[in-house]
Amino acid sequence: MASMDAISRNLMLDSLREYAKRRIPFDLIRELDEKNEFPADILKEMYDRDTLGVHLLMIPEEYGGVSGGTYDIYRICEALARIDLGIATGVFATFLGTDPLNVGGTEEQKEKWLKRIASENLLVAYAATEPDAGSDLVNLRTRAEHVVKNGKIAGYRITGNKQWISNGGVADMHTVLALAPGGPSWFIVEKDMEGFSANKHEDKHGIRLSNTAGLSLDNVYVPAENLIGMEEGKGLLQAQAVFGYTRVMVAAFGLGAGEEAVEQAIRYSQQRIQGGGPLSDKQGYTHKLIVPNYVRLEGARSYIEYTALRLDSGEHGLQTEGAIAKYGASEWGNKAADDAIQALGGYGYTKDFPVEKIKRDIKITCIYEGTSEVLEMTIYRGRWQEHLKSRGRYYLDMADKLDELHAKEPRCGAHASALALRALGAVMEECRVQKLTRHQHVSFKLGRLIAAAETAAIFSTAAGAQKYTETVRFDREGWQAMARVFAREAALNTALEGLALVLGAADSGNNLADAVNIEAVQMEQKGMIADMDLVAAKLKQTFKAK
Amino acid sequence: MNIVVCVKQVPDSTEVKINLETGTLIRAGVPSIINPYDHFALQTALELKAKHDFKVTLVSMGPPQAKSVVQMGMALGADEGILLSDMAFAGSDTWATSYALAKAIKKIGKVDMIFAGMQAIDGDTAQTGPGVAQQLGMPQVTFCERVEVDGRRIIAHKQIDGGHEVVEARPPVLLTMIMHKDYAPRYPSFLAVNASLKKPFHTWNAADIGAEPQYLGLKGSPTQVDRIYPPPQREKAAMFSGSGAEGTARILQIMKDEHFLED
Repeated sequence: MASMDAISRNLMLDSLREYAKRRIPFDLIRELDEKNEFPADILKEMYDRDTLGVHLLMIPEEYGGVSGGTYDIYRICEALARIDLGIATGVFATFLGTDPLNVGGTEEQKEKWLKRIASENLLVAYAATEPDAGSDLVNLRTRAEHVVKNGKIAGYRITGNKQWISNGGVADMHTVLALAPGGPSWFIVEKDMEGFSANKHEDKHGIRLSNTAGLSLDNVYVPAENLIGMEEGKGLLQAQAVFGYTRVMVAAFGLGAGEEAVEQAIRYSQQRIQGGGPLSDKQGYTHKLIVPNYVRLEGARSYIEYTALRLDSGEHGLQTEGAIAKYGASEWGNKAADDAIQALGGYGYTKDFPVEKIKRDIKITCIYEGTSEVLEMTIYRGRWQEHLKSRGRYYLDMADKLDELHAKEPRCGAHASALALRALGAVMEECRVQKLTRHQHVSFKLGRLIAAAETAAIFSTAAGAQKYTETVRFDREGWQAMARVFAREAALNTALEGLALVLGAADSGNNLADAVNIEAVQMEQKGMIADMDLVAAKLKQTFKAK
Repeated sequence: MNIVVCVKQVPDSTEVKINLETGTLIRAGVPSIINPYDHFALQTALELKAKHDFKVTLVSMGPPQAKSVVQMGMALGADEGILLSDMAFAGSDTWATSYALAKAIKKIGKVDMIFAGMQAIDGDTAQTGPGVAQQLGMPQVTFCERVEVDGRRIIAHKQIDGGHEVVEARPPVLLTMIMHKDYAPRYPSFLAVNASLKKPFHTWNAADIGAEPQYLGLKGSPTQVDRIYPPPQREKAAMFSGSGAEGTARILQIMKDEHFLED
């Protein structure tokens, strides 16, 4: 679905924030977190059509929803994550559970189920994971067997166990992946069907306001019309078709929770006087705990937006892009939240300040919807193919475009991004020549280097654009400085870590030090501290002490 | 009855800071909101609409992005929205703004009640509402906290120094609203925002409302902002301890030293 107009989107965001401000204060969140309690009344209100109706974003207008596009959903997911990642997960589970219907449902099924989800404010769960099948669904054990009446398939009997299901114990309906005779398929299972039960609510490290439970299906009968798409064996394709954009949603969680943590630290640092002045004026503090984290998250934002806008313009799949968006936002968000505790010192380590909870919550973004390691593999696989297909030109061509951009916009970090991409291209080529990706460590590490270098390229491109998107809260000077800081770091890491990776695995590095242009990458670091000073000042100006 | 509500988009004042060097507002990254007094005026009008089935039309003046406050009002229940947007309006003071709004309201046609916020939180002048009434030659009741309608009687509850005043008026009348303390602003649901896109919305320029250019914008404004500055920070107070007599003597001496008192 294409995204909606900016005014409508921002009105919805305002309504969500105002609701949260009034109804979900930090004291309440803290209490629920302590008690490990799912706030059913809040979720019901958020789904209420006359109050908010946040679940309607995923439902097309013709079925009673508001037809949100990926960009809209990213913005709402970011805002939800800034409120509470557990509540956000409760909403996300409905988005995810609705997906197989949106992607694979027949017209009749959409008419029936999407309309019901919209009008009855149904909580939905997405049940794919099993005790022995996570990202690797080949080990799927839950079975759906035919029930034949009068020579026709009248329904299915489903038996198996599901694990780590968000909304598992509270959802009104579940979309369940099961192995039918024709292959993996999605089924709609309602909570009161005989033989269906949810296990206890898990006692988790974080996102404790989200209900997570295992499901047990004991010979549960579902009518044939509950097979999504009315065709067996399409389940994995239907699941994969939306990875690009479900991962954008989790990426938005990492971004929102991570930036929220850093912003709280920035506000705190202006009031905390140490050694004769506020912490916010001390480089030893800002340039370690604040600036690099915020810069990385703004880089992740630009990559999320790049992916979301492409999906909204009608492109399909974008699995590698979705993986890069989620990998960067969740890993950097997790690091940022960790540093936010450090930035608040002893206070940060107590439960009186939200950063402690954010740190526990955000870790899940590195785990669900594909762990960071699964994503490293996904990213590597996707781009390795491109590298081979283009005979090593993939990143060199991208670097040429950034050099062109640098000629027009010399202050957006495009030159450093081009250096990062060329270094990456050289490292990948050396890995190909010496067959180094036979080491799993090499291929996964490449996934990581790819994510940072590509994000640098996209951040520079966004910061060099004539017009910025609605989410940029800094002036051109500030945002370009952020892009430069990001790109320099990416160039340095790609060259140094890439070189180390090859040397660690190969007999010789050949002339890789020259190929990654280590000298130019080092020279490119000139001006880094001045840029970090500028970014620190802009952050202080934007997130004033309250 | 036909009701018009005047609404304004303003920067969220809690986030605005002043650039001391240039004497201008730092607007970068500051969210825009509906003026809170206008929000209350709108809600008052919508309550009357719900009770009496009146028609509510919103009017705002501002850059294209000010459509946001009009659309929000329509999402909350207003029937129609109008945005006055034209470079010719830029820089208008309260007189020129009142002139343009009055021209637009004349174009709307028969209007029985006009609601406006008491003032906007950015300029704090409290002049535009009364200015519109003056331009339209309409009676006005200002600083209302509650309004009821009984047939053709409009009963306005006003706040005055040390008490309340109840004023009765006949249409047409303009009312400016303050906020009463237990007021909770409403925000639209996602569905209502989406539905508001289907309501009639018009953007009018200066020619559309038949406004004469010499009365618009900076050149049509009898008042101009000279500069903006934050109030000077007070110097730190000096604290003395001791008896009342000692303290008085000391203060008297300081006032003499600083030439506030003559010897």
